[in-house]
Parts: sequence; structure tokens; C-alpha cells
Amino acid sequence: MNAITPLLTRRKLGIGANRASKRRVFFNLILITLVVAVLVLAQIFVVSMSRGIADKWAYLADGHLQLYLGPGQELPTHPNIDSIEEVGEVNALLYSPDKNQMVRVKGVESTYFSKRRLEQLSIRVGEASTSTLARIMISTTLADQLSVSLGDRLALMMVSNDAIRAQLCIIDALYDSGYRELDGQLIYCDLSFVKRLFGTGLASSWEILTEKGNLNALKDDLERAGYLSTTWKEQNAALSSNLDTSRQAVLAVMVVVAILCGYFISELSAQMVEDDKARIATLHLMGADPRTVRTAYWRAVMAITVVSLTLGTLLGILCARLLPPLLAHLSARSYSALSFYLLDFPIRIPVLDVSIIISVLLLVSAISVHLSLKRVASIEPLSCVRFD
Amino acid sequence: MKRSTELLHLQHIAKSFPSTQRGGEPIQILESIDLTMERSHAIAITGNSGSGKSTLLQIAAGLLGCDHGDVWFEGELLSRMDGRSLSQVRSRRMGFIFQASLLLEDFTASENVQIAAMIGGSTKAEAKAKAAEILALVGLSNRLGHRPDQLSGGEKQRVAIARALVNEPSILFADEPTGSLDEGNAAMVEELLFSLVRTKGVALMLVTHNPAFASRCDEVYRISDRMLEAIG
Repeated sequence: MNAITPLLTRRKLGIGANRASKRRVFFNLILITLVVAVLVLAQIFVVSMSRGIADKWAYLADGHLQLYLGPGQELPTHPNIDSIEEVGEVNALLYSPDKNQMVRVKGVESTYFSKRRLEQLSIRVGEASTSTLARIMISTTLADQLSVSLGDRLALMMVSNDAIRAQLCIIDALYDSGYRELDGQLIYCDLSFVKRLFGTGLASSWEILTEKGNLNALKDDLERAGYLSTTWKEQNAALSSNLDTSRQAVLAVMVVVAILCGYFISELSAQMVEDDKARIATLHLMGADPRTVRTAYWRAVMAITVVSLTLGTLLGILCARLLPPLLAHLSARSYSALSFYLLDFPIRIPVLDVSIIISVLLLVSAISVHLSLKRVASIEPLSCVRFD
Repeated sequence: MKRSTELLHLQHIAKSFPSTQRGGEPIQILESIDLTMERSHAIAITGNSGSGKSTLLQIAAGLLGCDHGDVWFEGELLSRMDGRSLSQVRSRRMGFIFQASLLLEDFTASENVQIAAMIGGSTKAEAKAKAAEILALVGLSNRLGHRPDQLSGGEKQRVAIARALVNEPSILFADEPTGSLDEGNAAMVEELLFSLVRTKGVALMLVTHNPAFASRCDEVYRISDRMLEAIG
């Protein structure tokens, strides 16, 4: 490597340069950092929301795995089963004095709302009531839709297989998972209540919670042991597929934006060369090898890119970490435009997705900067005299 | 054919530029120019504005191609070299001074000279030492850390001379090196230039309008009607 490369690179980076050069480098660095931060933040947001929605469905609606016991089958034991709960489900029409709503009634035991499930929703319990009516827990979303509140009475018209049962109930508790699409169609009651109403006609199953990474292995083990089970993804194929597609589509868009950003970085290097034409010509006049000059510019631009990528990624992650309070605020405001978005979800850093975006940006900028710097060789030494 | 006894030899050089008018005839600038320069020899090329003095210097230095003829430098055919070989020749064996100092604005006086030394193959430490030494020779040892915008016109041109000579080239091409300086600074730069090329044994091809400046060279040529004639 020629000894001038580090000197030229450092100066192009603004180290030891005048204020105008430093300002130019700083401006470009900030610009790329902000673009990267937005890309990273958007990807984290989409993936976290998508996983948040998946979690709501898995923990509150169907469990990670639904197990159907055959005649004479005992409950399975497996080290990857974190919890197993019996549930009975019926579809129903829920009537308030003014309105009605189609809902999914889920009969559960008192142990159903374990710590992991309670992390997915908040529950507000009403004052102790002496009523003998069946107690149900509906969501605040549904309560708003039906214009009812804690302690109000509702009529349930339940259907399971061929049996239809009507029952008057009292709202014992309100829950809020933050995902209104789910909340608007799911209510809970005691398992004994639906069992008493439908007896053997009740569609019942066992919901298993496990760690996500163990899901497929657990399902395989259960199938080998003769159990019939479905994962929450199989149970909600359309939703799961939509979530995956959205995530992939957003990643694809982010990758395209990263490619454009990489191209922008090459424009930055091209502009740098355009601004420095006279200097480059002078270096050529002194006999500098164009490859040496090109290497110095490539290093300078890539150093700016790498620093910007690092700062942008960190800024994106930091902003993502600061998102929950903002989302909680938006959620509390109940903006109708946001009603079908999940606004309460844990932030998860999709390391693979972020790595893909960063790698694409880095690769595209490295190649495009390399190509754009080929023009360095075409700058004639004599042009420094013409620029004079 | 190698011409090892001469430093620079121009043989039957002809150069024209395209007409500025569409369909116009090319403008012939130089025609059948022959010139030989010995080592440590100083020659001046004079002539009216637009006569082709600078063009001849640029052809002689390999900065500009010619339509006909050959340029030999230290026994090598310069006019047929590829860009990379020309860069190598310029980096170690040629020095340049123009009317403008052409210093790199982002770099200090010392760094400007160091860069030329490093291009010429010196290590960073060697370049630093060489720069300090030659800048002291041109009387700028107290300006090593100054950027071009902190130097006067005369000082800039002295840095340019130091930069051109730091690699101890065989020849120095100087195109109106005092053209942009006031009388006092011009005289100082002129004196310095001749003192250094004589001390270091460097050949000088000087393009100038100034007859007094030209007369200090060993030979003086004039370009007139596209031809080169010796006038002194």
C-alpha cells in the first residue's frame, strides 16, 4: 500500500482538515445514519408487532399447540411442555340491551391465566357480586362496542355442534390485550360453565404452552406418541401466513431502500470526486497512481458508511427501545385509524433481518462506490491547470 | 532506438487542436519541432501568447500527446508509454511548477511536499524528513504546518518549488512560475529556482514571457509560426 493512502483517507474523513471539510463529512454521516436508523427502526417495529400479534394469538386464543385427546388417552408428559390447560370452546352471539356481537367463548380453568398469559393482557376485576349468574370476562374493546361495563348483564346465545344454549351472564372482569382485533371476538368464562351447558357436545381440547423454538420438535414427539395436535399457525393459517408475508414484504422493501441508500452513498463518492477533481488531477500530475487515489477515496467513503451504519443501527435500536411509552400513549388515545394495530408489544431486535439490511447496504455501497470511483482514472493530470 | 546520451529529445513534433467552429480546419500549433536537452541544462521557451509554448512543454513532459513525432526521455520513448509508466516517470524523474502553485488545500506545506515524496517512493518518515529539509532550503522552515490559505503567493510558489524538487528529479518543467507574483516575489522565486536547479544539477525547461528570466537559461528558444528557433 502506498504511504499516501492513509494520509489522503484521513484528510477525506475530515481528520486534520478544515472546518468546511469536517462539516461536509459530518453532514453525510448524519444523513446516512438517519436513513439507516429509520430502516432499522421500521424493521424492528414491524417484526416486533408481528411477533406480538402472534404471541397474543398463541397465548390467549389457541396456545402454542392444541392437543386433542383420543378415547382412553392420558395427558402427555414431555420436558418441553411448559403448561397444559383444558379449554372448551363455543361460538356465540353476545347481546347487550342495544347491540350484539358474534364472539368466541372460551371456557377455562382458574389456573389458565398463568404468569406468561398475564403478561399478554391486563385484567380489571369488578366488585364482588352476589349474583348467581354465570360470570364472563370480556374485553374493554367489546364492552365499548356493546356499550356495557363491569357488573352489567349480557345474554349469550351459544352454539356447539348441534346444541344451542341461551344464558344470561354478568360481566365479572374486563381484559385488554392491546390487540383489538382479537379482543373484539374473544370472551372467557369458567370451563365448568360451558361443560355444564353442553356436556359431551362441547368441543374441548388442551392448550399447550412451550418455548417457540421447541414447538415443532414437541409436535413431532407428540405425534410419534400417537397424539393429535395442531400448532397455532396451523390453526390460524391465514393469519400466520399474512404475518409472515407482511414481515417478508417489509423486509424486501427495506432491502430495496437499503440498495437505494447504497446507491446514494456511491453518489456521495462521485460528488466527492467531482469536488476534488483539481486535487486529484494535481496528484496525478505528481505521478500518483490512480489506484492509490481511488483506494483512498474508497476507504474514506466506506469508513463514513461503516460508522454511519453502526450509529444508525444503534440509533434505530435505541428509538425502538423508546417506542413502548409512545405506543402506550397512542393506544390510550384510541385513535380509530390505529384500532386494528397492536400497539402493546415487547420490542424484539430481529438480528437476522437487521443484519440482512445492513449487509445489503454495505455490499451495495462497497460495489457501487468502487464502480463510481473508476472515474478517478479518467481525470487527466493537465486538468489541474485548467481548473486553476 | 535509444538515445541514452540526452536527457530529453523531441523529434519532429507536430500538434494541432480541433477548430472551435463546426467543420473548421484543425488549428496547427506546432510543426516539425526538434529539440534536445542535456542533463543539468536549462532552456527557456519564449513566444507570444498562444504560440504553443505551454503545449510544447506539456508534450515534452508526456502530459499531452502529439499528432506526429516522438519524445525521448532518459533513453525511453515517452510518447508511446502507457498511463501507468508515465505516472512512474513523473513521480520520480520529473518536477512541475505552474503559474498557480496547485497546492492541495487540505494539506499543510509540509504535507504537500511529503505527499510528493511518498508518491516518489519514500516512506512516511523519510518523506517527513525530506520535506523539512527542502522547505528549509526554500526558507519556509517556519511554515511547515501552515495550509496554503495561510501562505502568501510567494510562499505558496516556494512550497511548489520544494514539492517539485523533493524527489530530486532529472528535469523540472516550469510554466510561467512567476507569472502570478508581484515583482519582489517574482525575483525571489526566480533566484531560488535557479539556485536550486544549479545546486542539485536538475535540468530546467522554462516557459516564460519574461526575457530577463529567460536569459538566465543556458539556451533560449522562441516559438514563432509554429516553429522553434534558437535565439540565444
